[in-house]
Amino acid sequence: MALHEQLGRLDAARELRDFKAEPAQMRAAGPGKVGELRLGFSLRNGRSILHDLYRVAPLLVQQALYWDEAMPELPICSIISIGGGILQGDRYKIDISVGEGACAHVTSQSANRVHQMDANYASQHQTVTLESGSYLEYLPDFTIPYRDSRFINQTDIIIADGATLLYGEMMLAGRKHHHADERFGLDLLSVAVAVRRPGGRKLFAEKILIEKGDSSVDYPAVMQGYDAFANIMCVTPPTVAARIKERFETNFPAEAPRAISGVCRLPNDAGLMLRAVGMETYDVRREVRRFWQIVREEARGRTLPQEFLWR
Amino acid sequence: MAAGGKAKGSGPSGMVHLARLLQFSDSTLPIGSFAFSNGLESALQTGVVTNPESLLKYVDLILRQTARMDGIALLHAHRAAVVGDYEAILEADSELFCRRVGEEQQMMLTRVGKKFAELVLKIMPSPMLERWLDDIKANATAGCLPIGQALALAHMGVDEVEAFVMHQYGIASMILSAALRLMRIDHLDTQRILFTAQGRVEGDYLAVRDLSLDEMASFAPVFDVLVAHHTTTHVRLFMN
Repeated sequence: MALHEQLGRLDAARELRDFKAEPAQMRAAGPGKVGELRLGFSLRNGRSILHDLYRVAPLLVQQALYWDEAMPELPICSIISIGGGILQGDRYKIDISVGEGACAHVTSQSANRVHQMDANYASQHQTVTLESGSYLEYLPDFTIPYRDSRFINQTDIIIADGATLLYGEMMLAGRKHHHADERFGLDLLSVAVAVRRPGGRKLFAEKILIEKGDSSVDYPAVMQGYDAFANIMCVTPPTVAARIKERFETNFPAEAPRAISGVCRLPNDAGLMLRAVGMETYDVRREVRRFWQIVREEARGRTLPQEFLWR
Repeated sequence: MAAGGKAKGSGPSGMVHLARLLQFSDSTLPIGSFAFSNGLESALQTGVVTNPESLLKYVDLILRQTARMDGIALLHAHRAAVVGDYEAILEADSELFCRRVGEEQQMMLTRVGKKFAELVLKIMPSPMLERWLDDIKANATAGCLPIGQALALAHMGVDEVEAFVMHQYGIASMILSAALRLMRIDHLDTQRILFTAQGRVEGDYLAVRDLSLDEMASFAPVFDVLVAHHTTTHVRLFMN
């Protein structure tokens, strides 16, 4: 089976050059190792629905549910990985599209655990497409790269003028309470995102690259004293972005903060970026939720439901 | 011969070239960089930088990050300028700009870039730099500083290694001159820090010289929050 074009391109990434060995278990990108997920949301009779669903294990979505009490019209899909995490040799491909005027929320069932590796790597390519007037919250749970793991992820976003997307990555430095070597003990974490207009004009791009032995990880201006961080972008029209920025209060207390956060503008009037850093996942999650609530209120006139006790 | 009178070797024929390298590296070059601290003002207010040791780490990190972002764009623009490929120059400009988060970081990059182009054109003619400045004024390109530097320096016959060093030096000296005005530190300490921090430039060049524009990357989450922090502070001396 030929690998998908974008996944094939990721295979050629320079940072993967030292990780080409075949696993002793199932071969890389073999049957059962290539997960695929396609979700299409659209408006039908005034209601947003999941009209298109295609999935290949280990990725799984069952159906859209409407359980958000503060936004009952919102179809919600939870991505399940039946493999219990990302293993060496895994290749994932996720496509999400939201049609004109529709809304959707996509999340994941639990933390995205990238397991320890002794051969090869895992890769993921995502495409997110938003048509005009649509609204998508794509907020996967924390990614936890175990020690010696290698994970590369590329997300290509195509968003029409007037649509709003809330998308981001939350990362934990490793299983911090499990082993002393877990904190940034990963071999490679490469996470890139690019945002374009339907015509191809690039608005924003970013790549986070962490490689083993990078001594700057423990610098005060990088991650000293913290183990979790989040980069959450809100791609939205400038008027909405201005209202959100006005409301979001920077959090950077001088005395022993558990978490710090702030919002600044993306280039080319693309929208905003929330940067948050914290000690534990829940510290960062609180900052993300604060931003998320303002985004939803300003972009859609809805607020967030009460948080579940078990999240 | 190029406008800078470039001639390699240690003989007197390279002296004008060296003199002009020094001129364009001078921290008093009037391009407005005195107004920017590259996040240092917020780093001091929040306790990320508190003393000479943490200032050295801060400068070291910014140099590492700048090499892996702006440095890559500078090398691509320099190579494009050498072969006269104007489209590739515009590409390097827009690829760098679309990776710059934070309104003040964007302003530092483009305001100083435009001023630099205007200054150079007052000193010497450079058709490609002039075309680039016209495109900035017409909003057809962003106008990032490393691109302007690459254009001017390539025109003067400065090679890419020298251009890279000059760019990195400019960033370090900008932060350290801001440090003198922001924290309890004397000129001797800042010179010691500058001397130490410059030791990394060769390793940085070797790490990025073969990378494509798509490979511009960074990792500094606390710095990223500092960038956002500065846009909302009320008491401040610097524009970023």
